[in-house]
Order: sequence, then structure tokens, then C-alpha cells
Amino acid sequence: MTEGYIEAAGVRKIYHTRTDRIEAVAGVSFAAAKGEFVAILGPSGCGKSTLLMMCAGLETITEGSIRLDGAPIAGPRSSIGVMFQDSTLLPWKSVLNNVLFPARIQGRDMAVARDRAKMLIEMVGLRGFESKRPHELSGGMRQRAAICRALVTDPDILLMDEPFSALDAITRDEMNEALMDIWEKQTKTALFVTHSIREAVFLADRVLVMTRRPARIVEDLRIPFERPRRAGIQESVEFNRICSGLRALIEPPRSRPAPEAVAAE
Amino acid sequence: MSESLAREAWREIGPRVLLPGAVGVIVLGGWQATARLGAIPDVLLPAPTSILARLVDAGPEIAHHAGVTGTESLLTFCIAAVVGIVIALVMSASAWLRDALYPNLVLFQVIPKVALAPLFVIWMGIGSPARVTFAVFISLFPVAIACFAGLSRADRHILLLCRAIGATPLQTFVSVRIPFALPYLFSGLKIAATMAVIGVVVGEFVTSQAGIGYFILHASSRADTAGIFAALIGLCVVGFALYALVVLAEAGARRWWRG
Repeated sequence: MTEGYIEAAGVRKIYHTRTDRIEAVAGVSFAAAKGEFVAILGPSGCGKSTLLMMCAGLETITEGSIRLDGAPIAGPRSSIGVMFQDSTLLPWKSVLNNVLFPARIQGRDMAVARDRAKMLIEMVGLRGFESKRPHELSGGMRQRAAICRALVTDPDILLMDEPFSALDAITRDEMNEALMDIWEKQTKTALFVTHSIREAVFLADRVLVMTRRPARIVEDLRIPFERPRRAGIQESVEFNRICSGLRALIEPPRSRPAPEAVAAE
Repeated sequence: MSESLAREAWREIGPRVLLPGAVGVIVLGGWQATARLGAIPDVLLPAPTSILARLVDAGPEIAHHAGVTGTESLLTFCIAAVVGIVIALVMSASAWLRDALYPNLVLFQVIPKVALAPLFVIWMGIGSPARVTFAVFISLFPVAIACFAGLSRADRHILLLCRAIGATPLQTFVSVRIPFALPYLFSGLKIAATMAVIGVVVGEFVTSQAGIGYFILHASSRADTAGIFAALIGLCVVGFALYALVVLAEAGARRWWRG
């Protein structure tokens, strides 16, 4: 029985294109305890998604290892739930059947899955929309359905790749609160990839800050806020102090150009 | 109240049924008037009423020939659908085979294949197999190309999700790739349904003892212009029936995958 303890040690990813050798992830090590919510924060295209895909067993690992409860990840496994930037719902299926899709594929007991799907759908506030199809829902509602789908098989680990980055700012705030609420009721080990500092600080127990390619972890920050968290904490001085600290790590001050840039000119 | 009901009824059926119907009636009326008032001989342009009379007169004969053409068209369509889908599956299963086959398929699509009908008579004689083979030959490519295009249309992220939840390649194929391909496949099949009828009739023009193509050639040799038009109506029924079959199959397939 898995617990949900993730440990990455010296993980590297090197892509070979026809002409280039690209180092997407360079020697990353971290660990996430059972039930911990870890945000991986970094600028777009820094390789953080690649890291997440390696955790999901969807990308090969060039060097190093990622272990789940001590066992190396060699491929996809059913104890992991994933969410992508797009809701990736099947357009011809109803909300309920989309949520049930992983259970059906994995040949699980459908009566159990159906009960759990209904409970999750109720929890994310999609009750009454079970028989609607994705095109009849708003972007936020589609992502709510995608959360249900990721949780329907009751995985130990939830991997999320910028799940709300395609939504507008207001919907995004709503979704963060909804996710917080769900996660507090269904605590899973969670890895959440984002390029939004506020989102990372609001959601996570720990924020790992990654630099641009090749991706390295430059900071591992514990977020001190108590749970359950409410949206109001985003107005606090402490919250904003943490955010500006992280921003300084991601975007070095503009006034002093990096030495290489000067040399290049 | 009744006025708004009438307006609603008009909005429902007006543009979609009455409008095209009215255009049809006007064209037919103009045709009738031109043929009758212009005193055009029936050999050149028979009036719609003459065609109708001829259709009633030669009804059983035309129905017999339409049956022959319809059977061969259906057979053609089924073979073309199966072979076309198999070609598409083969191409989507292997990048190597796709690179080898696809450019040739597109090249073949461009050839005006109707011109090749006599070749099939040389190869296969004057019987039904020659006509069906020729018709399959011309209706196969739209199915293969459309189905192949559809099979490569599946959303990249959904395919990633399938891998993440541990779906087998077969499960991914059946529950994701095929339903994404359905709209493309069926648009290919609709083209194939009309091409199959065209192929069979062209085949009958070249060589046959029965069928609508044969009847038209025969009527033309007797200057039976109204007969040609009457046969065309029979042919329309065949074409429409085949097309309707595809539309029904599409509705069924969509319902099945909706789950």
C-alpha cells in the first residue's frame, strides 16, 4: 500500500534535438512528505513541467531517480492523479462520465467509483451539471470536473501542471479557494506547478523556486500560514512580504544587467 | 398568442424547409412553363409533368434497374469503407508505413480516376466484379484520407492523460482516438457514398446488361429524354438511401461513444 512520499534525488533531464542538446532539468533534489502540498514555482519554460511529468512517469529520467514510497518510478501508475493546464475532458462525454473515465480505464468497481464521483462532484459545486457536456460549461467548471477526475480513483498523489493558468484572474482566485477547500477535505501529497507567486504562497506548505533552463531549485521555502486557510490571508503583510521575497529570487533587479549580457554587447 | 405561435413555427421550419421548397417549386414551375409555352419538343427538354408520366409508366422497370445499381453501390460502399479504414489504421499505426503510403495516396486522389473505367473492363471483363472494383477504386481514397486525418486529430493532452492513468494503447485507441476521428471518418464516408453510386453508373455506361446506367444509355439511343430524367429520379433515390444510411450510422456511433 502506498503512502505518498515522494523523493527526487539528482534528477536530470536532457533532450536531444537534431542539432542541440538541451538540459531541461539539472540535478534537482527534493522530497515531499505524505499529505504535504508542495508548489514548484518558476518562470515559463523553466523545465518545471518536465520535472512534474517525470514524477508522473510520463517522461524518462536521464539521470538520478524519483522514488515513490521508496520504489523508483518507472512508468505511469494508478496511485497518481494528474491535472493539466487544459481540462482535457472528452468533449463527447458528460461530466459524470468524464469524471468516471480513469476508473473505467483501470477496471475499478464502478459502483464504488460512481458514489465517489457523485461525492466529488457535489464537493466542487458541480451538482446538477452531471449530465452536461464540457462545451456547456465555463472554463472554471471544466477545471472543477478535471479535479474530480484526478481524485476519482482516490490516488495518494496529486500532480498539477499549471491547472488554472488558462483561466481569468477572478475565476483563478475562485479555483484556488475551491482547490484549497477540497485538498483540506481530501488530503493528498500534492505537487503543484505554477508561475504565479501568489497562487504558490496561498496554496502550498512549501514552495520550491526554480530558475530558468536548466532548471535548478534555488529556494525551498516553508509557508507559515495555518490551515484551514481563507482567501483573506492574501491581504496580510506577512503574505505580501513572502511574495516579494520570492519575486526577488525569480526576477533579479532590472537596474543591474547580468555580467554576461554586458559582455555580449 | 396565436401570432407569436405562428412566428415561432415560421422560425422553426421557415428557413429550413419552406424556403428551399419554394425555390424548388419556382424552378420546376419555370421549367414547366418554358417547356410548354416555349413549345420545346419533349426530345430536347421534356416538361416535369411528362417526366412524371414516364416515371409512372416505366416505374417497375426503373425500380428494377435502380435495385441493380443500388445493390452494387451498397456493396461498393461497404468494401470501400472497410478497405479505406484499414489503410488509415495501417498508416496511423506506423510512421514508417505512413511515410511510404500517404504521399502516394494523395497523388492517386488527384488522378481523374473516372477516365480509367475501360481499363477495368480489360482487366476483369464485363461483369459485376469489374464495375464494383472500379467503383471501389474511386470511392476508397476519401475514406482512407479522411479517416487517417481524423485518427491523428486526438488532443495531445488527452493522450497524455490516457498514459498517466495507465490506459493500454488499445483502450486509448477505442475510447479516445476513434471518437476524435468519427466526424472526419463520416465526412469521408459521405463522400464515398456518392462516389460509389457515380462509380457504379459510370461502370454501367461502359458495360452492362442492367442498372440505371444501362437504362439511361438505352433510353438515350431511343431519344427517350423523359425516360433519362425519370431514371435520374430513380438514381437520386439510390444515392439518397445510401447517404441516409451513413447519416444513421453516424448518429448511432455518436450515441454509442457518448456512453
